[in-house]
Amino acid sequence: MRRRDFFKTTVAAGAALSLNFDGLQAALSGEAVAVEAAPDLVAVMGGEPEAMLDKALEALGGIGKYIKKGQKIVIKPNIGWDRTPELAGNTNPLLIKALVKRCLAAGASKVTVFDHTCDDWLKCYKSSGIEAAAKEAGAVVVPGNDEKYYKSVTIPGGVKIKEAKIHEALLEADAWINVPILKNHGGAKFSCAMKNLMGVVWDRRVFHSNDLQQCIADICTLQKKPALNIVDAYRMMHQNGPQGKSAADVATIKSLLASPDIVAIDTAALGLFNQVKKLDMAAVGHIGKGEALKLGSTNLDQLNIKRIRI
Amino acid sequence: MLAILFFVSALLFFIDFAGKIPQGVHALLHLQIVPAILSGAVGIMAFQFILVLVFGRLYCSAICPAGILQDAINRLFCIGKKKSKGVRRFSFRKPQNLLRYLLLGATAATALAGFTTLLVWLDPYSNFGRIAANLFRPVTMWGNNVLADLLTRMDNYALYHVTVHTVTTAGLLAGLLALLLFVGLTIFRGRLFCNTLCPVGALLSLISRYSFFRISFDEQLCNRCGNCERTCKAEAINSKQMTVDTSRCVDCFNCTSSCTKSSLKYRFRPPFASGKPSAEKPSSGKPAEAPAAGKLSSEAPAASPSNGRRRFFATGATVAATLPVLSTVAQYADLPEGEKPTEADNIDYERLPPVTPPGSAGLERFKDQCTGCHLCVVRCPTQVLRPAGLQFGFDYLLRPYCKFESSYCNYECTVCGEVCPVHAIRGLSKEEKRTTQVGVATFNISRCIVHTEGTDCGACSEHCPTQAVHMIPYEGTLTIPQVESELCIGCGGCESICPVRPYRAIVVVANREHAYVAPPEEEEVKEIEIDGFGF
Repeated sequence: MRRRDFFKTTVAAGAALSLNFDGLQAALSGEAVAVEAAPDLVAVMGGEPEAMLDKALEALGGIGKYIKKGQKIVIKPNIGWDRTPELAGNTNPLLIKALVKRCLAAGASKVTVFDHTCDDWLKCYKSSGIEAAAKEAGAVVVPGNDEKYYKSVTIPGGVKIKEAKIHEALLEADAWINVPILKNHGGAKFSCAMKNLMGVVWDRRVFHSNDLQQCIADICTLQKKPALNIVDAYRMMHQNGPQGKSAADVATIKSLLASPDIVAIDTAALGLFNQVKKLDMAAVGHIGKGEALKLGSTNLDQLNIKRIRI
Repeated sequence: MLAILFFVSALLFFIDFAGKIPQGVHALLHLQIVPAILSGAVGIMAFQFILVLVFGRLYCSAICPAGILQDAINRLFCIGKKKSKGVRRFSFRKPQNLLRYLLLGATAATALAGFTTLLVWLDPYSNFGRIAANLFRPVTMWGNNVLADLLTRMDNYALYHVTVHTVTTAGLLAGLLALLLFVGLTIFRGRLFCNTLCPVGALLSLISRYSFFRISFDEQLCNRCGNCERTCKAEAINSKQMTVDTSRCVDCFNCTSSCTKSSLKYRFRPPFASGKPSAEKPSSGKPAEAPAAGKLSSEAPAASPSNGRRRFFATGATVAATLPVLSTVAQYADLPEGEKPTEADNIDYERLPPVTPPGSAGLERFKDQCTGCHLCVVRCPTQVLRPAGLQFGFDYLLRPYCKFESSYCNYECTVCGEVCPVHAIRGLSKEEKRTTQVGVATFNISRCIVHTEGTDCGACSEHCPTQAVHMIPYEGTLTIPQVESELCIGCGGCESICPVRPYRAIVVVANREHAYVAPPEEEEVKEIEIDGFGF
């Protein structure tokens, strides 16, 4: 009996070891490949939102690099306006839906979606298609329409903004993903990843009256920075932003950018924007100010950029 | 049952802050008599009057939300009380015919002359509206917030936090005043409001005197116990003489259920068949006493010699009470025409006329039509409509106006015109709404952030749905707003978001008469192809 037991144990242990070893080796080699090639920024063009997202995440080394099992994740799209997806005022709902699914598949314990909208929030959540899409994918969609959802935090890195009320969902999250839509903007000239952070803040009037461009950069110094920025440029509003008037304001350029570097991704997005409409970097003050606050780099030449065409 | 159906749906429609109640419920409110008259709904009027002629004042017990509210107050009051102090505390009184018909006449005459002030204050439906909108609704919303907070703590977002924006001092006071009046009069003497102050009650009483179906005594069966008289909220039953004043009876049927001998019943007794109208003769006996005098005779006295004098005083008092109102109305009736300022610097921010809701066509028409029920105020999804206080003059009191303090009129929204039961706000199609100019945004560069601080802003342009406010090059890379007034519809998006204080750099100056702008040009959708990432 004892000997038999001994053999059994040995065999079992051996099998387990060899299995583990195989797995470990596979994981190690996979990691090695990913580390070697992990780009600072991925740009994808020519596909549908979900397909482009998968390409980008794959190139970045998988979503598991940015979120961990059991974490509470916030996805912050732009849901600012009472506009349908075709008018490109809000982030593409298909992208949000796919991203929620990827997060849950990666083991996120909870995925929360919200925005502090400009138009009536119920209308925005509905017209944008984001509420329905996110819920379908399993996310919790929370309101951002009332001051009580926002908690005051200090912004030590800010030049003009030293304190702001931030949505509690974001403050309570373990990690968050910033998912703006790229578009023209009457006030900030250009709205993308950095500008999207204004949607986590309650009082935006202060931003407008205290040097908007600096305030946008300031809010990006928020201690809880996005783990990843994913720019939706499937449809791009190139004029009359941020609301847009009609479909004539929209160019369908079927693109997507992803990067953890918020300044780099906005710099790249500005390049993409310039493919349709001329817009000078100097006019979009917040990008340069973000670099000055060491939030990232505008020097794309020194970054490892992966460009993918589908 | 019918009463509950009407009341509950009307009440819920007023307090529903989440848009859960179907919009179609507003059709029920169009049945209300004052709204029907004001909106010229001949069919509804005819229907209501025939209903009264056939069945009596069922309207007051089953359709009018203010009437049903008074019954609810009465029920609450009677809980836990002895019958003699509660449900059976009433006794027969003579009708206050002078007061009620004088008020009816004055209300009708002033309304015809274009001064709706009396109507605004006396219309039962509008008073109910103000109670529901300014008291019940905010209380419900706060209740919701307490619940929502609890649920949110449990990670449940079925309810969400709501902010009460629409309650103004004037609205609150008006609601409170109406509720106190209803509570006071109901506890004091049942349906006293309906039979003295209410112009609708007075109007219907003229018809219900002759109603075909009415409550009447079977003199053979009656044992004169007086239960019926004591349960009659309208104080219309004289059990000694076995008469029921159908001009005041609101068909609540409390008396018939209180009658143990089955003497009192709702019977087909058309006046032309019976020969003697069972209605109380208006001229008989008791002096007309204003309830405000607070003095009431507890016994039914015989006609007194001072009758004529009292009546004279009552008349005098009523007229005197009405006069200041009328004179104030007249005083404000011809406010100076506020010319649209051409120079933004000349705007007198304190004295801008109110921006009236799209569909109201203009200031004068609107204030003559609106009875201040605040239905539009509660249904407006952006809560931009607020009841006015005295800031626009006495004759605009309690009427809604667009307050662009923190919200604006949604470009695609036509709700206020759809629900307005008096058609003071006409229903607009989406196309009409998008081209109706209620006012014009007026930009004051000397106050603008871009000019004073030399930094980017553009919040106004961001919120402009027509891009009437658009950004043009300014110093360096800065851009500054410019307004194309012929594109602007006065939605207030710009004003609501402008960060400049105390006065904003861009404000909507109301059109006293609404104007129209050209529909947005159909821009050609160009296929845009790009060949690379651009970086």
